[in-house]
Amino acid sequence: MIELDGVTFTYAGEATPALQQLDLRIGAGELWAVLGPTGAGKSTLCSLLAGFIPHFYRGSLRGKVRVAGIDVPGSSLGEMSEHVGSVFQNPFNQVTGARYTVREEIGFGLENLGVPRPAMLERIERSLALTGLSELAERSPYALSGGQQQRLAIASILALRPKLMILDEPTSQLDPAGTGQVFTLLRDLVSAGETTVVVAEQRLEWVARAADRCLVLQSGTKAAEGTPSDVLSSPEAEGWGLCQSRFSRAARAAVAQGVTPLGRQLPHTLDQAVEYFR
Amino acid sequence: MGLLLAVAFAVPWWACYLTLGLLVLPLAALGRLFGPLTRTLWKLVLPFAVPILLIQGFFWGEGEVLFTLGPLSFYRLGLIFAAASIGRIAMLGGCFLLLSMTTRIDMLMRALVERGLPNQALYLVVTTLQLVPRFEAQAHRIQDAQRARGLETEGSIARRARALVPLIGPLLLASLMDVEERALALEARGFSRRGPRTSLVTLRDTPLQRWLRLALWLLAATLILYRLVSWITR
Amino acid sequence: MERIRRDFSTVTLVMIPVAIALNIAVGQLVVALKLPLYLDSIGTILVAVLAGPLAGLVTGVLANLIWTLTGLQPFAAAFAIVAGIIGLMAGLFAGWGWFRRVWLWLLGGVITGIVAALVSAPISAYLFGGVMGSGQDFLVAFFRATGASVIQATFGQGIVADPLDKLVSFLLVWLTLRALPSRFLQRFPRAENVAGRPE
Repeated sequence: MIELDGVTFTYAGEATPALQQLDLRIGAGELWAVLGPTGAGKSTLCSLLAGFIPHFYRGSLRGKVRVAGIDVPGSSLGEMSEHVGSVFQNPFNQVTGARYTVREEIGFGLENLGVPRPAMLERIERSLALTGLSELAERSPYALSGGQQQRLAIASILALRPKLMILDEPTSQLDPAGTGQVFTLLRDLVSAGETTVVVAEQRLEWVARAADRCLVLQSGTKAAEGTPSDVLSSPEAEGWGLCQSRFSRAARAAVAQGVTPLGRQLPHTLDQAVEYFR
Repeated sequence: MGLLLAVAFAVPWWACYLTLGLLVLPLAALGRLFGPLTRTLWKLVLPFAVPILLIQGFFWGEGEVLFTLGPLSFYRLGLIFAAASIGRIAMLGGCFLLLSMTTRIDMLMRALVERGLPNQALYLVVTTLQLVPRFEAQAHRIQDAQRARGLETEGSIARRARALVPLIGPLLLASLMDVEERALALEARGFSRRGPRTSLVTLRDTPLQRWLRLALWLLAATLILYRLVSWITR
Repeated sequence: MERIRRDFSTVTLVMIPVAIALNIAVGQLVVALKLPLYLDSIGTILVAVLAGPLAGLVTGVLANLIWTLTGLQPFAAAFAIVAGIIGLMAGLFAGWGWFRRVWLWLLGGVITGIVAALVSAPISAYLFGGVMGSGQDFLVAFFRATGASVIQATFGQGIVADPLDKLVSFLLVWLTLRALPSRFLQRFPRAENVAGRPE
């Protein structure tokens, strides 16, 4: 699904590359989390995968970038939007404003892509059902909560049937309930085989629950790659700038004080913590 | 129903109160808009009507005088002129109000797009209409927040002027920052895709509407021609 | 033709509704502060600098047309040309590099204000006094219009207020855009108006 070879990208007018010699392989049907502190290159990677680099952001791009079978640099924004969907941080900004109801809002992208009307109606209903927005279909998009608006953004992108969905810190402006809704939705989508998901995140607790694999970025290079438990439990985790969840912190403290034996997998979610401390 | 009425009314045809009385108001009553429409129209026209009446009436300077008020004379021609101007304004205003109160703007725009208007125009118009109230609300919130922080909203002009920058600066900057994300979100929905587009909504165009439109066009053309001819042969 | 397409990029199209909403929001703030200004073209000028004179023109015209459509101010549409000219001029000045020299830019603001006042006067004269078919000569009608300009002032145009208003608007736009990092400015089609030609 995703093939990156030796990718190096520097934004126009900047001295240091945002991504350096990045190699990456992501298969279809997986949920990947991209981790790392601010400035590590998470957003840059998201932009690259969606085709915004190089078609929206100017700069020098080297290396091979193939996403969903498309050579990204040789493609266009219009073409990329047919295969890769993007969801961003701010729910309000993703409401186009050009439509008056949730249903029509979802239809916006379908209209742009020239999907015939019967297929449009069916896809919209499906999107509404998958994201739990069916009751809100006739409401104005501006009358929704932040979490609902974010689900609307996801629904709008889902309707385009993207092979890959990129989400750049989609829950950073949401409350815990909204965050939960989004992550549960993403997990369900991938498990049901709807699409492949790459999400850049800082909320490690949820990453541990939902992701299949993690990628840690540091200053534009790959610092680590693996399953959530491996990556998050790694002793180097703090060095990568990943904030520790309260569970693993508690567990580390317990190990340090000899309360629990060494060598056991550190917990990162509530369930894991319950198991760990039993 | 109001699909191309907009075009018809954009053409200037100088009928007067007749149109207002015989066409606009009854239509409004039909659409159960009589109350709101007349109220808004009244609010709009009054601030124009009174000054025009006074100024044109008292300063016309020639012709028959209807009455005098101290040193000022009220002229009949001025009255007629004021009446004509007010009539025009009231009629235009009434038509516009009727249009904006009865048609859904996005349907109107879709109809125009079907007839060749570029897609971007639809986006511009509808989005602006939806964003304006949001921004107004945000402006209020910023105002309240700043007032809570003790920013001066009373006092000398200089002080109030200085209060301007911390209020407007952040608003402008934040809006510009948002523009990037909004543009990307649109791109993600295929906004700049070249190729045929489809429409979720189908607009019904009945033969009755087509005949009405034709009739309106003819009527407007006739009136303009009549006016032009009478003007030239004066 | 290619330049027009570039000027009206997606970013520009997104900016225009935001700018129009800004026009109105800022206009309201000013009223609340009870300052003798309107500042209802700030968004238009912003677009003009960042996306060119044509985009500025469209923004101004559209802003007034939408204003009419909202029903708040049905006669704003008559002054759409004025608003369009403001956008056009701001864009032209920016395109000539005036933005990069502050005194030139502010001069541009004053000029724009004067032109705006001059263009809106006859429009008001027509609306409120009627020039066509009255048999009066233009000057008399103009006098009547300026007599009515006290009323006009509450609706946004005025012979004295306009140059001052545009001066302040131009200044605010200048202050705001100068605070933006160059990397961010690159998003916009006419970034060179602010930052100068890139190396």
